[in-house]
Amino acid sequence: MKLAKLAKAGAVVALSAVFLAACGKSSDNSASDKQVLNWSESAELPSMDLSKATDTVSFNQLNNSMEGLYRLGKNSKIEPGIATKTEVSDDGLTYTFTLRKNAKWSNGDPVTAKDFVYSWQRTVDPKTSSQYAYLFDGVANAQDIMDGKKQPSELGIKADGDHKLVVTLDKQVPYFKLLMGFPVFFPQNQKVVEEYGDKYGTASKYMVYNGPFVLKDWTGTNLSWTLAKNKNYWDKSKVKLDEINYKVNKSTTTAYNLYQSGKVDATVLGAEQARQLKGQTGYTDRKEASVFYLQLNEQKAEFANTKIRQAISKAIDREQYVKQVLAGASTPAKGFVSSGLAERNGKDFVDAAYVKSAVEYNEKDAKKLFEEGLKEVGQDKIEFSILGDDTDTSKKATEFLQSEITETFGSDKVKVTVSNVPFKTRIARTQDKNFDVVVSGWGADFADPISFLDLLTSDNPQNAGGWKNEEYDRLIEASKTTDANDPAKRWDNLVQAEKILMDDQGVIPLYQSTKPWMVKPSVKNVIFNSAGVNYNFKEAYISGN
Amino acid sequence: MKKYLLKRVFYMALTLFLVATITFFLMKLMPGTPYSNQEKMSPEQIAIMNQQYGLDKPIWMQYLLYIGGMLHGDMGTSFQFSNQPVSYLISSRIGASAQLGIQAMIFGVFFGIIFGSIAAINRNTWVDTGVTILSIIGKSVPNFVLAVLLQYYIALKLGWFPIADWGGFAYTVLPTIALGVGPLAETSRFMRTGMVDVLNSDYIELAKAKGLSKFQIVYHHALRNSLIPLVTLIGPYTVALMTGSMVIENIFSIPGIGEQFVKSILTNDYPTIMGVTMLFSAGLVAVILLTDIIYGIIDPRIRLAGNEG
Repeated sequence: MKLAKLAKAGAVVALSAVFLAACGKSSDNSASDKQVLNWSESAELPSMDLSKATDTVSFNQLNNSMEGLYRLGKNSKIEPGIATKTEVSDDGLTYTFTLRKNAKWSNGDPVTAKDFVYSWQRTVDPKTSSQYAYLFDGVANAQDIMDGKKQPSELGIKADGDHKLVVTLDKQVPYFKLLMGFPVFFPQNQKVVEEYGDKYGTASKYMVYNGPFVLKDWTGTNLSWTLAKNKNYWDKSKVKLDEINYKVNKSTTTAYNLYQSGKVDATVLGAEQARQLKGQTGYTDRKEASVFYLQLNEQKAEFANTKIRQAISKAIDREQYVKQVLAGASTPAKGFVSSGLAERNGKDFVDAAYVKSAVEYNEKDAKKLFEEGLKEVGQDKIEFSILGDDTDTSKKATEFLQSEITETFGSDKVKVTVSNVPFKTRIARTQDKNFDVVVSGWGADFADPISFLDLLTSDNPQNAGGWKNEEYDRLIEASKTTDANDPAKRWDNLVQAEKILMDDQGVIPLYQSTKPWMVKPSVKNVIFNSAGVNYNFKEAYISGN
Repeated sequence: MKKYLLKRVFYMALTLFLVATITFFLMKLMPGTPYSNQEKMSPEQIAIMNQQYGLDKPIWMQYLLYIGGMLHGDMGTSFQFSNQPVSYLISSRIGASAQLGIQAMIFGVFFGIIFGSIAAINRNTWVDTGVTILSIIGKSVPNFVLAVLLQYYIALKLGWFPIADWGGFAYTVLPTIALGVGPLAETSRFMRTGMVDVLNSDYIELAKAKGLSKFQIVYHHALRNSLIPLVTLIGPYTVALMTGSMVIENIFSIPGIGEQFVKSILTNDYPTIMGVTMLFSAGLVAVILLTDIIYGIIDPRIRLAGNEG
């Protein structure tokens, strides 16, 4: 009896072993035909609610699993998304979008104009507490709705049937189409949002998708998830990847070990690794649309003096800054606007508006300007403090600046102290104008120079230094009004404005952030844009080794 | 005993309440807002957001609301993970941290006791010196250095264990070792000292005189008494390990709670700060009580209730 039982058990075990082995084999076979990309991410995915998302990881997942009127392609050029045709009125204030009829949500619902109306209204509604709603400024009534003075239903967006969307603006927004590629302008399925309520967007199952991929296996707080090909996507024939497997590795050492072992195909690197791996196969520098710069508080008489501002800029050797402070992982800034952001007739904005003297290291000129400046303000010595974050890099940065400035002007002429505080404190003190000099950073939300230049108009709250220039304000205003419809004139306005800003040293640009990556050469056709959403995997594929 | 326990539990609750109160007010002293896009928002927008989240109310009112919520088991929702309840954030990530912490503690204490005892028995020999040197190294080399070395040599070069990630016992081996070396070193040092003391006492002399073997002496007579100082150490250590190590979790890409202790503070994520602080404090006071009870079990001379009763 016992023996029989044993034999039975043995047979079951043997059989299941065979069965399991067979299973393993078959899945191996299909794995080799499958197009799979393994991607290392450096932080968690905090939200898939496009009205509430605020970080790059969320935006990247949204951009690949959702789709708006347009999709951003190479060099931030707009490519067709849900819209097939766009008509703009002569005054530039009315946009009529015709939507494709074959667009579907992953639950089978059609994507209609109402989904856009609902989504936009939801985002600007103060009750939603969207941190990116400010991008809607310009859409009729958006500002009043955000301020609680009008109802969300009064927003300048109307559905004309299921496939026509009419958007009215209350001022011209020359880069409006570009904005349509940013997730906060994507549609949302009202039925789904209301069904899940508070849970909406907090896990992959509490969502519905209309983009090239759908999100899977994301529990809301875990460290891995998958973007799988969306069978309901209208343009699915162009989507080649079956799966993109994301793993969060916060340590770049770990991520690079995984890369070496073949477990991941792409990862960002740390500065030290970048130094060692530069020039090797797969090494890629990804320029980001974020620039770090000094703001000088012009409430202090010495910083209201142009010559002193220019002198400080000339005292900083940006090449050395990048080498010593950032281990060579970034690029010295050529201006306030980031390079690789916008171009016209093949010329990068940064080169068109380049003012060499404003970002060039020149000790002799620096000293001369400083002496002159001191005379003008009637002081023989100035004292100030440089405010920065309390990360290791920021501490190095403020120390570097302190020593460069002190060495150039001499300790009898200048006394520089440093103050390193947590990020949130730095932001709060900057906004309260409670600083002398602050190391600030800005990342562009969309690929247009205005996303930087807007910051320094005299009434912009981001202009914490308080730099003021009437001609600058006029040019920025003209680019949004009289010249909004004339790309050539608008471009010239912005170029002139940047030149004025640099000539007058309204801010002191330091460097543009560049992230070093290792990406396997077999990974093809991944689109990276420096501003707004970084990655577009729609037509990416794996080929060769 | 019952009365004693009740009294202790009351004090525990009081402690937790004080911790919550102090943390809440200290936290509100931090400048800035919990909004990650604060940099780009205008003061007006921030004011509107504050209104939505009730952060415009006077701090004492926010405090009462928070405590009220806590009493109903509502810890609020996280700001970093939009709309995610703090209770879910903690419960979904405490598991991995707790498992690793316990494993590291078992590993560390087990080998620590063995090494410490061996050193004590072979006092002032090369074995003793060897164990002492190892303990010093174990105590002074930061665990992340060890973690990186283990990952590079054992996982990447030899391929014996996975490099990182979470998904089964094999994934826990290297992080357990990296995390456990600290307690191992500490335990072996305490154990050696304790055992040396005990081995010098009269009753051990008596046992020797009775002609018991070395093993019998150590195992039956010395071990239990040598453990007492260790118990004080183990409790709080376990809580610290169970609530996660940010560095080790980051190196091995483990979905634990460790990083939230730091990140929630850096991002002003108020409900999460409160949640993780309360979690840690609750663990600590519970362990202190447990330690006191264990004392009584190991050493009957230590009376819990006393006679004042």
